[in-house]
Amino acid sequence: MSNIWAVARHMIAEGIRMKIALVFLVLVGLVVLGLPFSIEGDSSLTGAIQSFLQYALSATAVLLGMLTIFMSRSLADELVNRQIYLVMTKPIARWKYVVGKWLGITTLNFTFLLCAGVTIYGMVHYVRWTHPPIDEVFDEAELENEVLVARHAVKCELPDFSRYADREFQQNVEQGLYDNVPEFNPANERARLSQKYEAKWRVVGPEEARVFEFENVLCERTRANQVQIRYKTDVTSYASDEIFRALWRVGNPGKGTPVYTIPVRQVVGRFHTVRVPGDAVAGDHTLTAYFLNSNPFQGEYKQRSVIEFRKSNEVELLFLVGSFEWNLVRLMTLMMCKLMFLAAVALLMTTVFSFPVACLASFTIYVLAGARSFILEALDFSSNDYGSMFSSVKEFVVQSFAHVYELAHWIIPNFGRYDAVETLVNGRNVSLVWVLQGIAELAMLKTLIVLGFAILLFHRREVAEVSV
Amino acid sequence: MAKSTTPVVQTVGLCKTFKDFWRRPRVEAVKDLDLQIQPGEVFGLLGPNGSGKTTTIKMLLGLLYPTKGRISVFGKPPTDVAVKSRIGFLPEESYLYRFLVAHETLDYYGRLFRLPSRVRHERSDRLLDMVGLRHEAKRRIGEYSKGMARRIGLAQALINDPEFLILDEPTSGLDPIGARQIKDVIRELGKKGKTILLSSHILADVEDVCDRVTILYGGQQRAAGDISELLRKTDATQITAPALSADTIAQVRGLIQRLERKDIVEVSNPRVRLEDFFLRIVKEAQAANIRTFGALGGGAVPEFLTQVEESTTAEVVESLVASASRRVEPIPEQALPASRRESGPSKEVIEQLLGIPDAPEEVAPAMDNVPEQIPEESQAPRASVDADVEVIDELLGHADRKSEHRKEDQS
Repeated sequence: MSNIWAVARHMIAEGIRMKIALVFLVLVGLVVLGLPFSIEGDSSLTGAIQSFLQYALSATAVLLGMLTIFMSRSLADELVNRQIYLVMTKPIARWKYVVGKWLGITTLNFTFLLCAGVTIYGMVHYVRWTHPPIDEVFDEAELENEVLVARHAVKCELPDFSRYADREFQQNVEQGLYDNVPEFNPANERARLSQKYEAKWRVVGPEEARVFEFENVLCERTRANQVQIRYKTDVTSYASDEIFRALWRVGNPGKGTPVYTIPVRQVVGRFHTVRVPGDAVAGDHTLTAYFLNSNPFQGEYKQRSVIEFRKSNEVELLFLVGSFEWNLVRLMTLMMCKLMFLAAVALLMTTVFSFPVACLASFTIYVLAGARSFILEALDFSSNDYGSMFSSVKEFVVQSFAHVYELAHWIIPNFGRYDAVETLVNGRNVSLVWVLQGIAELAMLKTLIVLGFAILLFHRREVAEVSV
Repeated sequence: MAKSTTPVVQTVGLCKTFKDFWRRPRVEAVKDLDLQIQPGEVFGLLGPNGSGKTTTIKMLLGLLYPTKGRISVFGKPPTDVAVKSRIGFLPEESYLYRFLVAHETLDYYGRLFRLPSRVRHERSDRLLDMVGLRHEAKRRIGEYSKGMARRIGLAQALINDPEFLILDEPTSGLDPIGARQIKDVIRELGKKGKTILLSSHILADVEDVCDRVTILYGGQQRAAGDISELLRKTDATQITAPALSADTIAQVRGLIQRLERKDIVEVSNPRVRLEDFFLRIVKEAQAANIRTFGALGGGAVPEFLTQVEESTTAEVVESLVASASRRVEPIPEQALPASRRESGPSKEVIEQLLGIPDAPEEVAPAMDNVPEQIPEESQAPRASVDADVEVIDELLGHADRKSEHRKEDQS
């Protein structure tokens, strides 16, 4: 272990003295410290902080990713400049040398990530104190409850639409409605009917109500602890002021909880949050909420809009499970896992290729890992495009590439799956399970596999060059 | 305990063929090389550029893998990590980290040997003293001259007190002071029983320090053997004397013609070696405290390199005692160098020249008599030559001029 650490220390010294690491540290510093002065957001305090968090965390991830790839230059340089001759003639096994390099890069990344995290946290509070408030009380409350928190989300339980679909299907069969339908498929018909009932359920007409049930609401059931219902409403016809009025009644007297009535007057087409005291949650950890599409405000016009709760924007119940600080730590841990994997990839490439090629290959893998979902979707879309003249050849190429790509993804992870920036920015909980999955898949399994390849290749290669 | 006879290095049918991208053989750098280096030997690997010296060394160090043949270092494959802890290596150029200072460089390599912190610092300081760079220990290697970097290269090769030292072109890029110093180190370490492999095409260096050499050409061994055997010139006799008058020379010439019916080929005044002359000038400048930014003269070889380890004490003491006893033994006539022995009646000629009726058969030259101004280490490998000189000195009756004779002998 001592000579692994010797190589790691040396790597850190190289990073700092050769100024590669310092350049990236300065860049991270400029981004993190400069962003609050250049980002406006939506002019609200919450918007400003969310924008800052979004850009600062994303920029940090990208810059440290680049640093990781550039730091792997060390191994390539030692091979080219032949410093490796002196190292490999010392009693250090080759695997220890590669692991030492990886440990050095990882330690630098950890340090920089720590610095970036502390700075970002500090700047969040700086923005909080210095941002001019629109509505001081509202801004602070929104920030405290929706951004600087770690909330767990529970989606509403949908009714069993298949039951209604089956009933109608049976009625239709009895009435012989399908008798003359060519190539009739009962399963498809049931699914269609089910979708119809769901679509109907999602639309709330004027003066109509809808019930949302939430289960597994494992929060503190006290009045002081608030739970939040988050939803987005789309309306069929806009009022002149683009505001919809409605009423929420939260609680279930049948289960012995108080009922809270909350009239809302909100902008259409945006996400909104309704805060409810935690004692509205029943003892069986369920919460019942009624939504009434009716204007509860006296003296205002009668609302005629039809409100739709779309499937893509499901109604959620959010409740506090942790602090922003620990959420940030968990997000940084996920970032660190990605950087650990990337360091292994970069070292693997430099054991095989010269630095420019290795750098290009590492960046490619970085991009492939980051855009995995997008690329797979694109490939799926392409493979279904039969319109062109060369559709069969094209399909063959695309399908082949897709298979290769999927095969490569057995090793190349889906970075998007562990991208927690959006989650943190929205005040959602970056769960420990998620982090543990990231550690297991990225930091342990895939990093070890890639590092194993790097060690194997480095062990087999001759580190000296032809010099006759 | 008997001295280990297991070769430090053994290669059998060693071949190295470099291939191109398509795996086609391109260059046969080493062909069927059989090599044995015994413990305690200073072994020279000679050859012109591209003869396969460096490739052989790289294979010995596990930096290149042989295409064919076997190779063992301390009886194990060269890639064995444990073997590497017993080796010191100075490559043909100083492949050091430009961003580290000298002290950090030695510390890093010391860490790779897992030396404790105290030992690392102590050895670093002493080695920097030895190579004359203690005063520049805080400067980055990138700012060093080539020669200074070579000196750090030498220091790093010695940080682990190696049993087997591999030096590839050790004096290239060095000023005469540094070159001399490296040769002194080689002599000193050789004297202490370390095994040294020296690769060079500076033949004078090899001749100065090596016991045995192998000459490579085109990757193949062309000659091998004891350096004294290989260089022995059996068809001439050389007598060195203080300056003689033309008359005396004429008489000597006549005497040789009369007794041997041969003529003297050359009569000239011996010259001092340029290296010795240069070093004298530099020493004078140093004595005058003239400022320099480069390496200083350097110090003695650190104690840790010349101390005998506990585990091998008996073995080494035995060998040292044996060599010491050899030194004080009377030099039999057969042990005289060929240049002086094989010309048959040369002793008689000398006797006649000097008018000595019965020259003593046995003379015991004591090493204690070596003048102080000549470093002992530079004399040690030449014990038998010194003995020869002393025999002749005695015969010539000029024992008080030993030091000049010794220099001439070296030249």
